[in-house]
Amino acid sequence: MNDLVNSALHVEGLSVELGGARILDDISFGVDPGTTLAIIGASGCGKTTLLKTLAGLIEPISGRIRLGAAQVEHVPPHRRGIVYLNQEPLLFPHLDVFENVAFGLRMQHLPEAQVRARVTHMLVQLELDGLEQRSPHALSGGQRQRAAFGRALIIEPALLLLDEPFSSLDPATRRAMQALFRRIASGLNSTALFVTHDLRETLTMGDQVAMMRAGRLHTYADREAFCLDPATGVMREATFWQDLAVGATRDARHDTDTAGS
Amino acid sequence: MTRRALMLAVSVLLVLPVVLLALLSVSRHWSWPVLLPHAWQWTQWRELLAGQADLCAVLLRSLGISVSVGLLATGLAFPTSRAVARHRQRGRLLALSHIPFALSPVVLGVALLYGFMQLGLAGHIIGVVAAQLIFAYAYAVILLSGFWNERVHALAALAGTLHANRWQVWRHVLFPVARPMLGVCFFQTFLVSWFDYALVLLIGGGQVTTLTMRLYGYFGSGDLRLAATCALLLLLPPLVALVVHHRLPATAVAVHFEVSRE
Repeated sequence: MNDLVNSALHVEGLSVELGGARILDDISFGVDPGTTLAIIGASGCGKTTLLKTLAGLIEPISGRIRLGAAQVEHVPPHRRGIVYLNQEPLLFPHLDVFENVAFGLRMQHLPEAQVRARVTHMLVQLELDGLEQRSPHALSGGQRQRAAFGRALIIEPALLLLDEPFSSLDPATRRAMQALFRRIASGLNSTALFVTHDLRETLTMGDQVAMMRAGRLHTYADREAFCLDPATGVMREATFWQDLAVGATRDARHDTDTAGS
Repeated sequence: MTRRALMLAVSVLLVLPVVLLALLSVSRHWSWPVLLPHAWQWTQWRELLAGQADLCAVLLRSLGISVSVGLLATGLAFPTSRAVARHRQRGRLLALSHIPFALSPVVLGVALLYGFMQLGLAGHIIGVVAAQLIFAYAYAVILLSGFWNERVHALAALAGTLHANRWQVWRHVLFPVARPMLGVCFFQTFLVSWFDYALVLLIGGGQVTTLTMRLYGYFGSGDLRLAATCALLLLLPPLVALVVHHRLPATAVAVHFEVSRE
């Protein structure tokens, strides 16, 4: 798939057990710098556990995690440079939009002028300018998600972990958020892992693609390999839509013929 | 209409004892069945304001003890409740927290007295604070354990990945989010201490006098007017706190709901 040695993220032999059950089983993969690896998998296959383990929120029983040149499997979460974004946009309820986005910068004690400039720039990029003083509960779902993205991206993490971030949004907002994320992440050259259970989203968001099943990760050389693997269900999905389109065309032709005669 | 009448009746029932105490504290002669006192006097209040009845000093001492107990119990119980909430034996630990209630303050006081005498804490204000703290701390742990849900843990974990170290997570996330709940906890533990009689009597051994003890003393001596004045003083701090924080429970619920909802 990619050169593991030169990857931004390199995971080797990662295994996790929770409550005596093996959740991640000997996982190895790499992610190239400035790219997004999209991982698809059914609920309960271990996607969230993988992200939380990479973020340092779950302790693995074995395996190595290298981020850039540093081994980070024993580094505490706040020193890893990895941001984990939950399925729902967990904004801090006691802070307004500006302070939510500024949170990571404030924790690093950056100068006030720098914080103001960077947050203001990020809010404009996120199309949240004018909502700085709003409290999280006064935002729509899409706005909350954008604020959560801004808060994560502004600290320029070495790795961004996104756990089905658009699953709770309506289709139109979801598409807009996908485009927005691609644009901002590309501008910042962010390296990301994007977990989803949606085929289309996997192919839209991922520069590289992988599939997770029963705690094991299968990575693909390219999108074509992913699409041709029967296990991913891409061909099945394509056939379904193709049949539907053919059927609709045949019905339309039949209606036209009937009307003509 | 019925609802309004019921509300009025409940309000009158709640306010009437306070009005009665206020009238009693300024009456000189008041006999049944006359509605209001025949004669008035301000002796009790004059004595109080002049410091002759020593009530001001007792009031300040009581406030000092209760504020200390409230602050210490809330401050200690907050991290404890988190540790309990994250512990595998959460249910068992919470059950253990109920032990001071099962004992009751009187039995707890008797149980503590011997140890406190050995430590030189009996008859000392620190001993009273320590004894009340055991009771209030357990109460606060139980109260605050309800705060720690999955969302709060997720917020703390998220802050950790956003460069916040352990102390910053407490300072910038957990304390602000829990503030309304901590306010309620402080108020409740303050009241536990403020109205306590048994522990002050047993551990204080007559050396430490609080307003509650003084109130019992006045009733015992038959000076009902001074007792009424003292009772009004006893009511004052909780009433002020209630007025100041009259929106607190609603806010606490709102913030907690918001944290749960997000």
